[in-house]
Amino acid sequence: MNADVRCPHDLAGLWPLLEDGAVVMAGGTDLLVRRRGELPTVIACLERIVSLRGVGEEDGFVRMGACETHARLLLHPLVRDCLPVLARALAVLGSPLIRNMGTLGGNIVTASPAGDTLAPLYALDAQVELASRLGTRRVSLDGFIAGPGITRLDPGEIVAAVLVPLPAPEARQHFEKVGRRKALAISVVSLAAVIRTDREGVVAEARLALGSVGSTVIRCKEAEESLAGRHLDRESLLAAGAAVRREIAPLDDLRASAAYRRDVAGNLLLRIIAATP
Amino acid sequence: MSPSAPADPGSFTGMSQNRDPLSKAVGAERYSTDFIPPGCLWAAAKRAGMPHARIVAVHVEEARAVDGVTAVLTRADVPGSNRQGIVHKDQPVLAGDMVRHAGDAVALVVAESREALAEALSRIRLELEPLPGIFDPEDALAPDAPLVHPGRENGNLLARGLVAKGDARQAMRACDVVVEGEFETPMQEHVFLEPPNGTARMTPNGGLEMIVSTQAPFRDRFEIAHALGLDPMRIRVRAPYLGGAFGGKDGATVQCLLALAALKCGGRWVKMCWSREETFLAGYKRHAARMRIRLGASRDGELQALDCVMYLDSGPYAHLGVEIMALGLEHAGGPYHIPHTRLEGFCVYTNNPVGGAFRGFGVVQAGFALERSMDLLASRLVLDPAELRLKNALRTGEQGGAGVTMESPSGVAQCLEAVMTHPVWANRMAWKAKAPPFKRRGVGIAASLNAMGYGRGLPDAAAAKLELTRTGTFKIFNSVPDMGQGNAAAFVQIAATALSQGSSCFELVQPDTRLCLPAGSSSASRTTYTFGNALLRACEAMREKLMARAALVLLADDPSRLRLVPGAVADETTGRSVPLALLGAMLQRDDRICVDQFVMPVVEDPPDTGKEFKLGFPHRFFSHAACVCAVEADELTGGVELVACVTAVECGRVLNPQGVERQVQGAAAQGAGFVLLEKISSEGGRILAGDLSTYLIPTSLDLPDLEWVAVDGDEPSGPSGLKGMGEVGIHGPAPAVAQALEDAVGLKISRIPVEPEDVLRALRGVRT
Amino acid sequence: MSKNITLAFTLNGEPVSIETRPGRRVLDLLRDDLGLTAAKEGCGSGECGACAVLVDGTARLSCLMLAAQLEGREVITAEGLGTVENPHPLQVEFAAHGAVQCGYCTPGMTVATAELLARAPCPDRDEVREAISGNLCRCTGYVKIVDAVLAAAKAMRGEEP
Repeated sequence: MNADVRCPHDLAGLWPLLEDGAVVMAGGTDLLVRRRGELPTVIACLERIVSLRGVGEEDGFVRMGACETHARLLLHPLVRDCLPVLARALAVLGSPLIRNMGTLGGNIVTASPAGDTLAPLYALDAQVELASRLGTRRVSLDGFIAGPGITRLDPGEIVAAVLVPLPAPEARQHFEKVGRRKALAISVVSLAAVIRTDREGVVAEARLALGSVGSTVIRCKEAEESLAGRHLDRESLLAAGAAVRREIAPLDDLRASAAYRRDVAGNLLLRIIAATP
Repeated sequence: MSPSAPADPGSFTGMSQNRDPLSKAVGAERYSTDFIPPGCLWAAAKRAGMPHARIVAVHVEEARAVDGVTAVLTRADVPGSNRQGIVHKDQPVLAGDMVRHAGDAVALVVAESREALAEALSRIRLELEPLPGIFDPEDALAPDAPLVHPGRENGNLLARGLVAKGDARQAMRACDVVVEGEFETPMQEHVFLEPPNGTARMTPNGGLEMIVSTQAPFRDRFEIAHALGLDPMRIRVRAPYLGGAFGGKDGATVQCLLALAALKCGGRWVKMCWSREETFLAGYKRHAARMRIRLGASRDGELQALDCVMYLDSGPYAHLGVEIMALGLEHAGGPYHIPHTRLEGFCVYTNNPVGGAFRGFGVVQAGFALERSMDLLASRLVLDPAELRLKNALRTGEQGGAGVTMESPSGVAQCLEAVMTHPVWANRMAWKAKAPPFKRRGVGIAASLNAMGYGRGLPDAAAAKLELTRTGTFKIFNSVPDMGQGNAAAFVQIAATALSQGSSCFELVQPDTRLCLPAGSSSASRTTYTFGNALLRACEAMREKLMARAALVLLADDPSRLRLVPGAVADETTGRSVPLALLGAMLQRDDRICVDQFVMPVVEDPPDTGKEFKLGFPHRFFSHAACVCAVEADELTGGVELVACVTAVECGRVLNPQGVERQVQGAAAQGAGFVLLEKISSEGGRILAGDLSTYLIPTSLDLPDLEWVAVDGDEPSGPSGLKGMGEVGIHGPAPAVAQALEDAVGLKISRIPVEPEDVLRALRGVRT
Repeated sequence: MSKNITLAFTLNGEPVSIETRPGRRVLDLLRDDLGLTAAKEGCGSGECGACAVLVDGTARLSCLMLAAQLEGREVITAEGLGTVENPHPLQVEFAAHGAVQCGYCTPGMTVATAELLARAPCPDRDEVREAISGNLCRCTGYVKIVDAVLAAAKAMRGEEP
């Protein structure tokens, strides 16, 4: 309650605040819960900075402003139609009220292994555009998040946008979140898959990202490679599932055991070829 | 629109038009949390955070020094006995030398602002010497178990109960088949949306007034008085509409701490409002229970004998533990005819969170165990689980498990038949066969009953006051808090019908111990029945009085030929009438008030058993229910979806179908959460799931359209033939879902909640 | 310790100017300073929805908003949707359909569903359930709430009940 809260209208107004040690807030749905007992002394709220919003196509990428709310992303045709794996995750993130406030940038910087947007973004080979007073730089999301709550943001930097190379329109995109209940649930395991097949149905490229089963989202390369050159059927998916189980590093926690997570993570692949769960 | 000033007490819990649903819907209704007097102080407790410890020292100097803090109190500052409790006074207001559960209050801070309050709380240093704790009720009975109340005659045993009929052990030996099992149900958190809270101040003449979210305003006075050495008759408690309670606000939550704070505030208002996390830590819970059952039957499925033992985890304080155990044992035979029963119970102190009242208490636990045992029996005898239940359903005139004859109509068979003919049960084979890929479907059925009222020992009484106002309308002085069950609206409906007036003529004064008459707690499915009956009597007295007074005006020598009509008393033979407004203006206030009372009838010839239960045993009136649940389990995740839930309830005559349906749906939702989602994860006396992100109740996406099927009945002694039924709907889902999952995936559940891991294991054929 | 700021925003259709700390929770500002107690604190952590208010037409959790964020915004609380004398169709139908038991979740529910109906005037049962999935109710089991919202949608479309 004693926090000083500033709402700059542009990035130029943000940099001095960051230099003075302000803590960045986008939607507030993580920060204000985590820091309930004691808010930071100075909070810099990003929600009025127009350049951090907006969704558009740019050089073969879908560019999503880091402070676009999940709800608005869900409404945008580019996200809905071109990035269904992400749209599906957004649709089951939190609740409608949380989605009206939360942002992609916030989900990324919070860097929870269970962050709902992260597995889809990894499967989409997303990049993040980082901005600071010194300019911008782009890095792959995979690698930007180093562990729970840990990113490679430099001091004075924020996530400005998320860029996703436009997936091939024929690529199959699949997402499933396993939570203890159907809304307001932290993900216990999640699977994001982007799979390109040729006209005969043979897999040309598979990307499989698993959430909540390691200290970061894990792209299961062995499983991905096992699918390349094969048809998507029960047999190939069982094999990929077995590979997934070898590649992930789940932990026991209050919500689920490591054994359960390992079991289910492999199982989820089978639903790639079934109707919606 | 100008922002309105925060509520003042005069506008509070005063007149509430019976249109409370609309008032609530527009956000105008003020709850206890919404009473924020300008300049009020704030109070909060510092809690131990450790389940069992000796208090070495409580360092408060730093806290006292915080700017804005007006008092920091410890046990030494508590006058009176420092003991609160509903029946047994065993809970300290502020713990002095011992901490007995992690939520024990050890110090109390009063401050000018919530910021100062939080700051001060963080600066209180507790020096605690941890002691070995005891966290299982059976272990707590071992001779070398750590003692929760050292020096108590029976150690950790709060109470033992034995209810018996016939000779169960003998009869069991002669049974064709005997099934046995051990079952466990966990603690359950109420998660009422409005946390425990209240506002209090000392009055100029040395009394105490309090506005508080409570189910028992009249009893609260005595609990506060005993704890703090005050005169209960100089304590005024007002109970606005509660934002939910379900039993969790029966018995002091904030009351004694708040009163203690008020004593030190020099007449200023002081407010206490628990956070959600504090409510988990310090609030009451449904008792966790373990039950061992042996159930014997003849080859054709006719029940012969039941032998069961029940252990209830009371936490460190009794609350209503003994009464809860009594109710559990009384219901342990379920809604079935069992000639021989031996029902034993142990209610035991531990260092776990405090067990207290929660909708359907004792019955939820015992009912789950008995229903699962019926499923074992059905399985063993290769009988349809519905037919087995129907075969043994208690009929009117038969004896229940405790040996009490069912006088009040027993609608178990009708309830079972109603759900058995419902498509969810009737078409279950076809439905199951159509399971989509990776899904397994199952359907289960359960039956239950729930007593109404307090039972013997404590008079289930209410007194009602009804006033004709000077303008000819009516004021009902409601004595039983409305926690959402809609009793306020029901009372208006009862009075309007009894007095032949439109419901808009009635205003309701919410419970106020100064203005209204004592009427017991809002609990035990009793309020509409007991207070409703008292109100009916007061209405009858009012009717007679109005006719007699009108007769004077109309010069009618025979008042009995007059009739009450909307707004007037009419003489049909002459066509003349007297407006109620005229009578209201004419009569003195004393003459405009009618008071009457009612005591719920009790069992007249109680069986010769359960004698140790002074309070709450046995009961005379029961409502009955049957429930069918359809589930879909996912083969890949083990997740379980409740796809359908149908509950039939027999509760006498239905005064208000919408009112009954709402209670059934709400109770079923809580039962569904109990079996599928709600896990408090208490380990070593520490709650691991202590907030709403970890303790999960169903959201709107986790429940189907819960259905209610009405079953006809009539309880002649009830107002308009009704019986209380607010609790009976909670019992069905847990056993019905358990049976449905056994049907779907072969999982044999004896503990809840069901975990997806359990389902996956069953699917793999791994024995749990 | 932060300095007070003066906030200017629109509240239930009227301009408001109020001096407060920028880091004050919007929920506390509404309840304690402005006397608008319909928004409730059920958890303080965004898990129950009882604190929901409309900000520029979007339903948001006021327990997770700070006062400074309100500058220039249009805020509508449950009280602003309608009154006893002049209730909003949602409020009418909630009361009429038995969707109000204890009523503590009701203001938040009406805020969430007001937003729903503004963008989807003809929702089905599933869409209504989705829209209220961030509002916990412990009393009703949600069925009658869904019934009420559908009835309100019908009324707002000018159709017969």
